[in-house]
Amino acid sequence: MFRLLRPFVHRHPPLYRRAHVVAANGNQAPANTLQNIEKEHERLLRVVERRITERQSMYSQLTDQMSTPDDIAKLRQLKESEPLQNAWDDWLKAREAFNETIELLTDSDPSMRALATEEYTTLTEQLNKSVTETLPQLLVPPSETAHLGALMELKSGVGGSESSLFLADMLRMYQRLANASRWKAQVVTQNDLETGGIKDAIMEIKGEGVYDSLRWESGVHRVQRVPATEASGRVHTSTVAVVVLPLMEETDGKNDDLFSMDEVKVEVMRARGAGGQHVNKTESAVRLTHIPSGITVSMQDERSQHQNKRRAFQVLRSRLMDRKIMREIEERRATRLNLVRTADRSEKIRTYNYAQDRVTDHRIGLTLKNLTGIMEGDDLQEVLDALKKNHDEEVMEDMLNSA
Amino acid sequence: MQHRLFAKLAAQLGRQQASLEWKWMNDAIASDTSKNSLQDIVRRRCLGEPLQYILGTQPFGPLNLLVRPPVLIPRPETEHWVIKLSEAIRPTAQSPFSLLDIGTGSGCIPLLLCHLWPQGSVHTHGVDISPHAIRLANDNALLAGIPPPSDGDYLKRRNTFGTTPANFLAPTFPEEAMQIKPPFHIITSNPPYIPWKEFLELPRSVSEYEDPKALFGGPSGLEFYEAIARFVGRKDMMTSDGVVALEVGRGQAKAVEELIRTTGRVHHTEIWTDPWGIERTVIGRM
Repeated sequence: MFRLLRPFVHRHPPLYRRAHVVAANGNQAPANTLQNIEKEHERLLRVVERRITERQSMYSQLTDQMSTPDDIAKLRQLKESEPLQNAWDDWLKAREAFNETIELLTDSDPSMRALATEEYTTLTEQLNKSVTETLPQLLVPPSETAHLGALMELKSGVGGSESSLFLADMLRMYQRLANASRWKAQVVTQNDLETGGIKDAIMEIKGEGVYDSLRWESGVHRVQRVPATEASGRVHTSTVAVVVLPLMEETDGKNDDLFSMDEVKVEVMRARGAGGQHVNKTESAVRLTHIPSGITVSMQDERSQHQNKRRAFQVLRSRLMDRKIMREIEERRATRLNLVRTADRSEKIRTYNYAQDRVTDHRIGLTLKNLTGIMEGDDLQEVLDALKKNHDEEVMEDMLNSA
Repeated sequence: MQHRLFAKLAAQLGRQQASLEWKWMNDAIASDTSKNSLQDIVRRRCLGEPLQYILGTQPFGPLNLLVRPPVLIPRPETEHWVIKLSEAIRPTAQSPFSLLDIGTGSGCIPLLLCHLWPQGSVHTHGVDISPHAIRLANDNALLAGIPPPSDGDYLKRRNTFGTTPANFLAPTFPEEAMQIKPPFHIITSNPPYIPWKEFLELPRSVSEYEDPKALFGGPSGLEFYEAIARFVGRKDMMTSDGVVALEVGRGQAKAVEELIRTTGRVHHTEIWTDPWGIERTVIGRM
């Protein structure tokens, strides 16, 4: 949980905000193992212990009848915190067993020693799992966006046509990732460049946990390579801006809590002369303007106005939801002293360097020497996992600091 | 090859429209809905044939309808007002409505309403003079999963769509309409409304491919509205709370409103504008 142990990981010190560093060398004395684990996860364990104490006292406050409204609220809370209690009990049990095992490691009976050594390994694993997975997961509230798919917007940035060529490569990368993850990906809109490549695109990706997996892809992606179109073999640097939005499905009624219909201006794009029976040219483009926020969405890729409108509303809903999430992050940041990851999307987050066959994510200082595998979508998951882990750690740290 | 094809299309349609249609053509080929090659599609399109006929479909609201020459291609203006009508009137299965669509063409109006309204809340009927239209409308009903009317108990709980070939302008029509079991709660129509003068100025993709019988509304363009007004004016054709919804051509709304008011049966009228700001639909309530 608190460590990224990878052969190619190297961290930039300023970004490495770990409070404790694990002394994970195998040479330490067995007796110190537990001590080290407890020391490293001191804050976590203190928080859990406090929650458990609170739970006990809540339990003792229940009246005998257990039927007052206050009781019912308490019972509900007790029920909710039961998994934490169980995990804590497991931790205590493993801890006790561990201490017993330590003594047996030096037993005179060789078969007993062998047994104890085995036990020692199992218990160490168990204890580590408690503090790195089980307990943190129970403390951090579950993601509210876990069920959401994503809308991924890609826009070419600096670098002209090379940027558009790379955008096409990125789109392919995400499509392949989606296939491999059994997500459903569909390009909603795409503007091709005459000279090849894609100027901008929006892709819809449906599936469980898609938004949570992809949300850290938002930001500026930089590519350094010799463009296919470059005759002199000079390396170019260009960028693609990515924004990942939570995919908001159409709600049944018109009672959206993100906006109301009268806040949205719907416009058709082109003049149609007399229209109606006089014209049979397909002109289905629509533009929405959300007046309070000034967000505009244009959609023309579908063959009917109805479809374009539906798509445009989906994008609008997703953008508004995204704003809401960003606002909540900002508020959390404002109310707590701890840093939460910046929501700045103009930040350069990743570099794809073809000459060096490497991809570096600048936020976590992760470098993978396997650019081809990543562009094929196969190894991108590794980057996403690292980012998600990093986020989980931040949330955890945030929680510990504010607890 | 591809570049040359696209360039050809762009020369014909302009680059922006060509890129969109290019995508739709490729989508149709990829999804197997079009049996033609891209080369054939582009060639036909460059000759002026409407894209909808070449691809064989046109989305209409949430429905994907079949289109076949020479039956009128459903227009976005029609899609817009029909969706609006589906929200303005809400029939229920407790007291189902009966709807007559005059000049049904592809069946787009009644089929979309059947799709949007609750099951069992409406029984629709389309009449058209063209056998091509009747066939297409029935094919579309099948595709949209909307059954023909039947006396079966089960079907009464579903929305239905039936067709009758008939010449609406013939003096015998009211007689024939009696077979469809009036009174109707709703009469909808997108009748031919293009006047003679404008007919001559239509783009080729309309005048050379779509059925003139679905477009030409007589010298004034109002011939069908006059007939509809006479039809509505008869007693027994509409319920006392009936609604008439008529699509009209640019500049015709006031005249049509006047026509249906003179029936004496319609007491309240309104005019809906289309997304392009043109007065497009006349709504009359009894």
